[in-house]
Amino acid sequence: MINFDEEIAKFKPSLEIDQAEEVIYNNDMTDISDILKELLKGNKENKLND
Amino acid sequence: MICPNCKSDMSDKRKRCERCGTDLTLYRKILRASNLYYNNGLARAKVRDLSGAIIALRNSLELNKTNINARNLMGLIYFEMGETVAALSEWVISKHFKPEDNDADEYINMVQSNPTKLDSLNQAIKRYNTALNFAKQGSGDLAIIQLKKVTALNPRFIRAFHLLSLLLMKEGEDEKAKRYLIRAGKIDVSNTTTLQYMRELEKPESLAKDGEGNLEASQSKTSSIMPISSYREDKPNILVFVNLVIGVIIGLALFAILIVPSITKNRVKVDNQEYIDYSAGLALQEEKDETINSLEEDKAQLEKEVEQLHSEIDSFVIVQDKSALYDPLFEATGKYMIELSKPARDRDFTAIADILASVDESQYESEASVKLLSQLRTASYPIVAKIHYNIGHDLYNDAKYDEAIIDLEKAMTFDPTDVDAIYFMARSYHRLEDFENAAVYYSIVIKDYPDSNRAGDAKDYLNQIQE
Repeated sequence: MINFDEEIAKFKPSLEIDQAEEVIYNNDMTDISDILKELLKGNKENKLND
Repeated sequence: MICPNCKSDMSDKRKRCERCGTDLTLYRKILRASNLYYNNGLARAKVRDLSGAIIALRNSLELNKTNINARNLMGLIYFEMGETVAALSEWVISKHFKPEDNDADEYINMVQSNPTKLDSLNQAIKRYNTALNFAKQGSGDLAIIQLKKVTALNPRFIRAFHLLSLLLMKEGEDEKAKRYLIRAGKIDVSNTTTLQYMRELEKPESLAKDGEGNLEASQSKTSSIMPISSYREDKPNILVFVNLVIGVIIGLALFAILIVPSITKNRVKVDNQEYIDYSAGLALQEEKDETINSLEEDKAQLEKEVEQLHSEIDSFVIVQDKSALYDPLFEATGKYMIELSKPARDRDFTAIADILASVDESQYESEASVKLLSQLRTASYPIVAKIHYNIGHDLYNDAKYDEAIIDLEKAMTFDPTDVDAIYFMARSYHRLEDFENAAVYYSIVIKDYPDSNRAGDAKDYLNQIQE
């Protein structure tokens, strides 16, 4: 049985077109490649320190 | 392949970057995994499993954010689900990573080239947000009104369908909610929210209730199974034919009551119209006849006038040339002046009087000419009349009565009051035994000059003639 109030609370407002720019700038663009690159970079630095 | 560290281009077969020495094995695996997810997302999108496609494409982009195909497809799917802002964001980011030769250009232009459509989509988003506020505040009916407008503005806005269905379910309008969920399901077949609400709607009420509804549940399950009735041979049903006959009779009665009067009325109307037309035609004909008669009368009158005018024209005397008209007067005047220059005993006005006698004074227009003519006549006529009387009297005495009459007549012409001339005219005719003319002149003497010394003799002679 659906609890209507809880279900309605799940709905979020939709972004308007004026807010598109904000969405684009705040987009988290980090992907696995970036993480991997950071990891490799950290390993390299650790080796140099050793 | 592009080295993720130094961005230099190199062969795909290389395991290490030639420029920066970065190990590319792991990177290559990551890119391959990203492409696998993209392929999976594409396959799901083709069968309208948009929710599943979004999950696969998001995984693809988490592995490789520069996977342009995955990002563009993600934008298309968002746009298909009515998420316009999310779609535009994905295409803009895609264009950021690959500014040239990117399909995202086409998609962005497609949206931006139709400002009316874009505005309509934005209005749908705003109304959805308003409806959501209404719904959260408990104004479900207002929210439903707004959401119906949203679905009209953007018929692919799945979130609006979900919220509208939920509110309709809350209001107990399950059938309407179901219709909207079916529409949402046609856009995205595997949307979990759609499926959840549909499941809620399709759940039998009896199951949702307590155990008392078991019988109803069993009935509903078997409601599609109809009992087979026992075979019965169809009997000829006479009532059908009776009903048919009654129906025909009622139909005919209605025809007679409703339609026939109308037809008759129309016919009468047409007949009346024809009668009116005929009467009008007759009246017109009579009017024409009257006009013709009137015109014929006018014609006869005009012909009469024309004839009259012709006769008047014929009766007109062509006026002589004015110079010719006045010539006798001038000639007489000239002669008169000549005679005046002579001694009194040598003067002879006879020729002048003859000229003046031929003049018709009625044709003279100027008073001066008439006056001159009158003066000349006054001056010449008595003298000439006396001369002719003397000649005529001498001829009478010589018993030349015929010749005497000529001169006496001239004397009477120039002096109509000379009773002696009239008397001797009568005597001359008497001598010639022309008693009729003699009686005429005797009568003039007796009647016009009763006091003259000739009146008594004229009476006696007239008595002689009449005896």
